[in-house]
Amino acid sequence: MGLLTILKKMKHKEREMRLLMLGLDNAGKTTILKKFNGEDVSTISPTLGFNIKTLEHRGFKLNIWDVGGQKSLRSYWRNYFESTDGLVWVVDSADRLRLEDCRQELSALLTEERLAGATLLVFANKQDLPGSLSKEAIQEAMALDDIKTHHWCIIGCSAVTGENLLMGVDWLLDDIAARIFTTE
Amino acid sequence: MSLAMETSPSQGNGDEKPSETVKIPDRLLKRDQARLEEAERRKDIKEGRSVTEEKSDFFSTTFNTERATIDELLSICTEANRENATKILEEATVKTQQLQKFLNDSMMFLTPYELRQAQATLQVLLSTISEKRDDILPKKKFAFKSRNVKSKPAESPSTSITELPKSASNRDTDADAAVTPVQCVFSNVDSQVLIKRADEIQQQDVLLTHLTNCKVRLLGSPSTLHIKHVRDCEIMSGPVSSSVFVDQCTGSTLAFPCQQLRTHNTKDTQIYLHVTSRAIIEDCQGVSFAPLTWTYSNMDADFAVSGLDKNRNNWDQVDDFNWLAFDTPSPNWTVIPVSDRKTSWDDLVPASSE
Repeated sequence: MGLLTILKKMKHKEREMRLLMLGLDNAGKTTILKKFNGEDVSTISPTLGFNIKTLEHRGFKLNIWDVGGQKSLRSYWRNYFESTDGLVWVVDSADRLRLEDCRQELSALLTEERLAGATLLVFANKQDLPGSLSKEAIQEAMALDDIKTHHWCIIGCSAVTGENLLMGVDWLLDDIAARIFTTE
Repeated sequence: MSLAMETSPSQGNGDEKPSETVKIPDRLLKRDQARLEEAERRKDIKEGRSVTEEKSDFFSTTFNTERATIDELLSICTEANRENATKILEEATVKTQQLQKFLNDSMMFLTPYELRQAQATLQVLLSTISEKRDDILPKKKFAFKSRNVKSKPAESPSTSITELPKSASNRDTDADAAVTPVQCVFSNVDSQVLIKRADEIQQQDVLLTHLTNCKVRLLGSPSTLHIKHVRDCEIMSGPVSSSVFVDQCTGSTLAFPCQQLRTHNTKDTQIYLHVTSRAIIEDCQGVSFAPLTWTYSNMDADFAVSGLDKNRNNWDQVDDFNWLAFDTPSPNWTVIPVSDRKTSWDDLVPASSE
């Protein structure tokens, strides 16, 4: 039995995953987290620091880290990279003026060594807004097709209505599970 | 047992009296009886507890019935009845989610094989639903190339007293050139009065950029509001359902109710605010806050539309992301003293020419 198998078995026993949720400020990261956890989303303040939620989903224990996206907090993102299984990148689909910022921040993240093994889920959030860009447009603006280093997937969602949140997280879980857990 | 009775005296447990050794089998008997009763009791409890929901045939029957229902829903959902399609898809999605929940709840007593099968089935259902959705309700394809298309949405909202200058909608050679207008955009305007009413902005995402020396009134409830590159303006808006995002704003006065306010790179600006969660500032200087004093005739109704709580206003709880010390207040923002607060605003609304 190789070391990898042993490690995978250990992980399997825990059935635990660490997800890191990042994105520019006002993207809706905390709202996604709270909505997914079934909490009230109408009283959310801009995140000064971070939120952690541990929740059970499909038999997995998910540790979701939601770190504030303000410019002054972005330099602290790196403190949360260690042992991340999945990266959730949240985009405000209605904020066209900062799409370029958003693309640059994401591409900087993807060069991080400590995130090298992580699966990437991009949430094109705020699809409920009439002026929001479609997920195809976000995919193009973020140049996702150029990403060769990570497994990725983009899903259009709305944190306010909850639309497609589950679908996105399910994809992420499946991809991570296929990678780190042995199938036996 | 009787053997034990006979042999026990001869075994010579010297100090034990014979009468006691005779009692041992009795005790054993009793214990055995008790053990049997206990076992019986446990069995009863166990049977009582095993509810029908935890049998795996129950699971597979229910799962398959539900799945058949969803399949049927999806099969009647064709391009022909487009108006119903949305509703049916919605129903199918909800049912699928319920099915996923049911599976999650049942996981404890399913074999790994059944679990895998059920999950695979659910995946198929989900992807079928999303395919159907893409087929029947295709989203508008967005492309950056179609520049000439965009002049239409930019001009259509300008039915109010101020016509956007013709040049404005075509002037997009600046830094934000790669950006096409959102549903409601007002940009590149100098020294004008802009009044927008509910029919144009109600629950829309509104963007105000590159305004100088303008007076803006948004008489309705936008779903979100972006204010960027603004100088010497007076901008008032009705209740904003979600967040207001302010960037690069100088020497202006802003007033609006909103759920969240995020202020960036802003200087010497007064904000008359009603905020139900929090306001934050980042890279700002000389920003001052006061409670909202501006109002307009239909504001209460728009409050209802926005879903904001009129009785909760945290206007003076401002987080400065560049000032993380708890004990000393941030030098970047202040509260406008009561005597200096503006209480009367220019009533621009009835004015028809300016």
